[in-house]
Amino acid sequence: MNRRILAPVVGIVAFLGLWELLVRVNNVRPFILRAPSRIVRYLGAHPGDYASATWVTAYHAFGGLVIALTVALLVGSLMAASSFMEHATQPVLILLQVTPFVAYIGSVVLWLGSGTPPVLFITGLVCMPAFAFATVDGMRGADPAARELLASVDATRLEVLWRLRLPSAMPSLFTAARYNVGLALIAAYLVEGGNFANRGLGSIGKRAAALNEGDALWAAVFAMALLGTVFLVVISVLQRIVLRWHVSQRPPRPNWN
Amino acid sequence: MSRIVLRDLTKDYGELAVVDPLTLDIESGSFVSIIGPSGCGKTTLMRIIAGLEPASSGSVEVNGALPSVARANKRVAMVPQQPGLLPWRTVEANARLLLDVNRGANPPGATDPLDLLQEVGLGDFLRSYPHELSGGMQQRVALVRALALHAPLVVMDEPFAALDEITRSEMRLMLTRLVDGRGATVVFITHSIPEAVALSDRVLVSSPRPGRIVADIEIDLPRPRPDDVEDDSHFVELCARVRHALHGGRV
Repeated sequence: MNRRILAPVVGIVAFLGLWELLVRVNNVRPFILRAPSRIVRYLGAHPGDYASATWVTAYHAFGGLVIALTVALLVGSLMAASSFMEHATQPVLILLQVTPFVAYIGSVVLWLGSGTPPVLFITGLVCMPAFAFATVDGMRGADPAARELLASVDATRLEVLWRLRLPSAMPSLFTAARYNVGLALIAAYLVEGGNFANRGLGSIGKRAAALNEGDALWAAVFAMALLGTVFLVVISVLQRIVLRWHVSQRPPRPNWN
Repeated sequence: MSRIVLRDLTKDYGELAVVDPLTLDIESGSFVSIIGPSGCGKTTLMRIIAGLEPASSGSVEVNGALPSVARANKRVAMVPQQPGLLPWRTVEANARLLLDVNRGANPPGATDPLDLLQEVGLGDFLRSYPHELSGGMQQRVALVRALALHAPLVVMDEPFAALDEITRSEMRLMLTRLVDGRGATVVFITHSIPEAVALSDRVLVSSPRPGRIVADIEIDLPRPRPDDVEDDSHFVELCARVRHALHGGRV
């Protein structure tokens, strides 16, 4: 098997094995910590429920990421183009990043109603700053020689944006995407839980926690972890294709430490 | 072909005078090098001629028009010191970059850069990415990218400065062949005396900042330049003249 696939599988199996071992050897009571085998058995007994809930959460997280990226590219381009815009926008973005969004889930649900809209709204909102900062940094880092060259033939701002600034921002946007995947999934999960009209993993988790159904709760957690892994794999594959020109995607030289 | 006329041109950044009043007439179709110590305002002068920066006072005309007009009409092709290749574009796409933007101003005769890439020996590297090329090859792409515009004025800012001496002399030969007979006016900035003499019809020697032309030396070597021009005794003599001028008469 390819080492790139083998290594993470070995890591996960070892982690789950250790967990299982600790629970069994120390005879940990199930309401404190369940053995992974028990959680997997529960998941296996309710495949349909979890598959459809995972699908809903995946849709929410993905939708939120797309919204965040779209808005961030717009905001980031404006910030990169004008330092006034940058200084005016930066504090708001930081505010968005540091405010515990859990606190205003209720207000957003009251405002947008229950169901999908508040989930997409909050997920998009919390993922936007990282994408916006990545856009600004990447665009600012565009090669000045290339910038001068484009100026020498009077390229328009839009042409410079499209031909130079946007591609220059790709590496940092991928870094932000890796960070945002976790955030998007957590945001989707929590907003789903804060608004019972959903059928996502967050709703299952919230209901299970309220009814003290540990197996159902842990099964939701496992499904979330699986979903996160799938998202990251997709991003890695995309990154390898889109950034094949970038230094980060080249193999190291044999004598590098 | 472009005639460049500077009248009493000055440039300063507040207190710092970069170019002293400068009057200069560059004939159409000639290859003119500007040589001088670091920081003498050569690059600034080039940027003013290319329409990338306004002069503080005086006037500049490129073929009877303002440099900014020449720039908007893509009448100026630039070769910067760093190749400035876009790492996500292949060699072929990089060579086409300047044709891909501001398309409305492309001259009707703008040809495919493929022939030029063949001519500079990059025919087998069309699909390669810049990081797969040597420094000399990257600079050749930058050269093709500029020449593909078929602009009547080409400005080059120490394009070979980052290359080793062997690659540099190869590039010199290649550039002579590419430019000879093309009819473009070339303004070439350099630190290298043999480079200036081998390539140019005229070498302008600049003083340290603020830049002033202290010598205007005509290079009366034959055109097209023979490949062994640097072995010529007259070449050596001309190099010595430039060197003397550069050191203010001191050897």
